[in-house]
Amino acid sequence: MFRNVLLALIALVIAVGGGTLSAWYAVNRFDGFGALTVGQWTGHPEAGTLLSDPYAKARAAREGAFPLGSAEGLAFYAYDDNQGQALDRRCSYRIEGNSPNSRFWTLYAADRSLIALDPGKDRLPALHSRQILRQENGQFVVLVSPKAQPGNWLATMGAGRMVLVMTLYDTPVGSNSGLVDMTFPAVTRISCDG
Amino acid sequence: MGKLFRALLFGLIGAGIVHIAVVLLVPFYSDRNAWSRISAYGDDWQFHSVTRDRAPGTVPLAFDPLFQAAACRFDIEDLPAHITGVGTTPYWSISVYNRQGENIYSINDRTAIADQLDLVIATPLQMIELNKTKPAAAENSVLIEADMDEGFVVIRSFVPDESWKEEVGSFLQSASCTPLL
Repeated sequence: MFRNVLLALIALVIAVGGGTLSAWYAVNRFDGFGALTVGQWTGHPEAGTLLSDPYAKARAAREGAFPLGSAEGLAFYAYDDNQGQALDRRCSYRIEGNSPNSRFWTLYAADRSLIALDPGKDRLPALHSRQILRQENGQFVVLVSPKAQPGNWLATMGAGRMVLVMTLYDTPVGSNSGLVDMTFPAVTRISCDG
Repeated sequence: MGKLFRALLFGLIGAGIVHIAVVLLVPFYSDRNAWSRISAYGDDWQFHSVTRDRAPGTVPLAFDPLFQAAACRFDIEDLPAHITGVGTTPYWSISVYNRQGENIYSINDRTAIADQLDLVIATPLQMIELNKTKPAAAENSVLIEADMDEGFVVIRSFVPDESWKEEVGSFLQSASCTPLL
């Protein structure tokens, strides 16, 4: 008798506790299916549309963001460098290469919940493709660092993990015509101090 | 031993059911979705600038730092919504969202007619009326059919540097969101 009650309690605790915890984890950390990954960059063309899956819908309802429409643009996120290590705000990174077709793009560093980092007074919070210096072959190099850098410098500040957000505006990348040249810049770690 | 195994199995199946139920119910019970964010800005039928501030009770908004935006919520059950704006900016785009915050339609300055922000959002029934007789005010508007009652629009505009701030600000100020009579 007492053993049966105990077993029922165990089943109940697993059901409610496990179900709630896994749902919490899924809603707060999982971005939904249908991700488009190129190199270190991941985008979600269907997020925030009628076609998004239940996980993406649940997450959107918690964030309360205004997702970009297909005619507006598409955001890509880099969480790791090309060695697979998580991006750290105290480290310096080099973003080198070319970007996919778009009218223009913006690049900024954000925290895990994708809120743009404040790099401090008189420092640019983001770079965009119309102000950037390029090499002879059209490629660009952006240095992401808490310390001042020559060339294209994206300033960061503080400690902890960060996410690099590259948003392509007026781009055909989200469409599935297969005609788009998907070249994304590579993110490499230069150095880390502290 | 068999009983314990069965209890664990029931627990796992129950966890799966709870997981699915919670994920599916979150969009209906969340009080920090896009709609409540918009409602906190102010009245409907009026554009309010989108702020990134960490207001009490809400999560900060994930938004491109090089963009400024304005949002307006409306209810097109009785009358269609007419959205207009005047100005020159390097880039603007507008999205129509339903009450759940899902993006149902978007255009940018190049896909709009003559780079002008002028669109009408109507229900399928109102659309039939609009196609029969188009009001003079909406002669050049982009017509969007949306099967919904409450919704909102967000206009965003690119601010490449500080010097554009004023220009973009006045474009967003000029935006109007009114019922189409």
